[in-house]
Amino acid sequence: MDILLQQILNGLSIASVITLIAVGVTLIFGLTGIINFAHGEFLMVGSIVTWLAVSNGLPFPVALILGVLAVALMGFVLERAIFRFTLERPTNGFIVSLGLIVVLQHIVILFWNANQKSIPRPLTTVWEVGGVRIASVRVMVILMTIAVVAMTYVMITRSRYGRALRASVEDRDTAALMGIPVRRYITGVFVLGSALAGLGGGLLIALFPITPFTGGTMVMKGFAVALIGGLGNLTGAVAAGLILGIVEGFSAGYGFSEWTDAYSFGLMILVLLFRPHGLFGGTSGPKMA
Amino acid sequence: MKSNLLRGAAVALCLGASAYAALAQDAGDTVKIGVVAAESGAFVSAGHTLPAGVGLAVKQINDAGGINVGGKNYKLEMVKRDDRTDIATAIAATQELVRDEKVAAIFGSESHDFTLAMAKITQPAKIMHFAGNSTLGKVLTPDAVKAGGENHYLFQSEPQEFQRSGSTARGVLSLLEPLLGAKPKKSVLVVGNDATGQFLSSFYITALKAEGQEVPDIIFYPPETTDFSPFLTKAKSFDPDVIHFWYNGDSTLTALPQALELGAAKSYFLFGVDPGIWKERGLTADVPVAMSCVPVCWGASSNPNSKTYFDAYFAAGAPHGVTSSVSLLYHDYVHFLAKAWEKAGSFDPDKTVDALMSMKYSGVVSDSLAFNETHQVTHATEVCAAAPGGEITCSMQQPPEKAPE
Repeated sequence: MDILLQQILNGLSIASVITLIAVGVTLIFGLTGIINFAHGEFLMVGSIVTWLAVSNGLPFPVALILGVLAVALMGFVLERAIFRFTLERPTNGFIVSLGLIVVLQHIVILFWNANQKSIPRPLTTVWEVGGVRIASVRVMVILMTIAVVAMTYVMITRSRYGRALRASVEDRDTAALMGIPVRRYITGVFVLGSALAGLGGGLLIALFPITPFTGGTMVMKGFAVALIGGLGNLTGAVAAGLILGIVEGFSAGYGFSEWTDAYSFGLMILVLLFRPHGLFGGTSGPKMA
Repeated sequence: MKSNLLRGAAVALCLGASAYAALAQDAGDTVKIGVVAAESGAFVSAGHTLPAGVGLAVKQINDAGGINVGGKNYKLEMVKRDDRTDIATAIAATQELVRDEKVAAIFGSESHDFTLAMAKITQPAKIMHFAGNSTLGKVLTPDAVKAGGENHYLFQSEPQEFQRSGSTARGVLSLLEPLLGAKPKKSVLVVGNDATGQFLSSFYITALKAEGQEVPDIIFYPPETTDFSPFLTKAKSFDPDVIHFWYNGDSTLTALPQALELGAAKSYFLFGVDPGIWKERGLTADVPVAMSCVPVCWGASSNPNSKTYFDAYFAAGAPHGVTSSVSLLYHDYVHFLAKAWEKAGSFDPDKTVDALMSMKYSGVVSDSLAFNETHQVTHATEVCAAAPGGEITCSMQQPPEKAPE
């Protein structure tokens, strides 16, 4: 029983980091139409900035904030300098993002080499409850994910900004005619998604060592979760993240462990075959006249 | 006027000819050694140690005056190519080094599959080829390595896998026993699910069983895994004395803190993790943790040559890596090859092979490195163990004579 409970807890922990990435992906892809496969490298940069800050003696919370700000700034610059020119041709944006993966990885390798980077765990306490071990650092990551996703949800669904955004997704031209600064909103969403990747990176390095190549796998799972949940649908991203986390935890513990990733992506294929817009329905990206 | 033109043309021709001769002489006095390794991509951690180890050996040889072959002095020049952890790039790089750069020898790659592909180019071209892979036994057969055989110029600069697995398993269990207060009986393997992991773990599980271990399960994880908690929880359900993390050092260092948090086993073994990294990262554990290096550790070592080598290696600019010791699977063999060329008195590949097979070389790893009849080396592997208090003990473990049944 304690092993079963431990696996459920493991699944929740896996779900939290994936969900954070998936929320960024679902916002950017679902609301702006930008297919940014370099989102995983944004996360990696967030990890590197956090690592640099902690290595230079800054406390983890400050390092985490610096990581978020740095990646948000990077997102702003890249959106203004590159992605905004690809909005009418999303395939170009997709190819550009593939190039960015290599560029960002090699910039990091050039300055900080390709070796693994890690920081001391910001929280080291481990509680034992009925044979189940609960690491405080994982609880911190789960709680922060819940808080950030909840704030993002409220902003997208309840605020004026969120309503304007959703209107832009429905019809960019009409939204623009109604006075909504669509292009500025797109930049805002891209920066928000990037900041979430930076946060994910900072939290990731609190849990595990990272390398310049860490982003690749994470972004694949982020896209899988975003697609399973429904593009642009935050509730879907959270639910799909939970499903994927639990599936991964249980498949590693009770199934063929080496197939863990295959289960996740197999699930994504099944969902997309039977519910092309995801389990909770998505936007399919913005509509353009 | 005409005679002036003719005289000018003759002078120009003479100058051109002498310049060409001087260039040819320069080219002739330098022997190129190629390196194909992953300096980017997934294998970069081990890959970047190849040019670092070969480059250090080349510098040491050149600083000592170069090599004297057939009464003439030559300098060595390393020409390295990044295979980007991509087999097609490794093949293209090898072709370029052989055809365009005219290298006399090639070192690499860190990956078994890449080496096999590269050998299809180096061997027909009669290029000396050294690879630090433990798994070339299937292509280094007596027929293949004999004169005229398809891999006559290919050499394996790492012990065979049954030897490495055997010495590692024996060393790990013997170092953990006093720290645990009893002989470990039950082991679980946690292994990366790629071709190398599957292949290597089959040897290691046999070696553990030969040492009397009960091995209830071998748990494979996808190679890019970062969250190991489900796999470790499964391992914990077997109540093992030792969890052996095999074979990727980076993944191992990711998994260990999670294993310690879960209290997954009474002790752990981290293959391919240097005690130097353990110390640098300030890692600690409340249970014994064994580590092994391929082949000699830099952070703590029982090998007297290790410190001198790694001082020079890191002073040359190489970073402190999990697998920096892999450089020794190449460094010693550049020196060995240079001695063979000197002994052969020629760069002729057939004479070089004969010289290599008739020699012993005193290197960092061993003072009597030699190739057996199938072009494979044998030497010890270093295993270390960190006690819960932090004290690290190391010992060189000799390989078994024969592969266990």
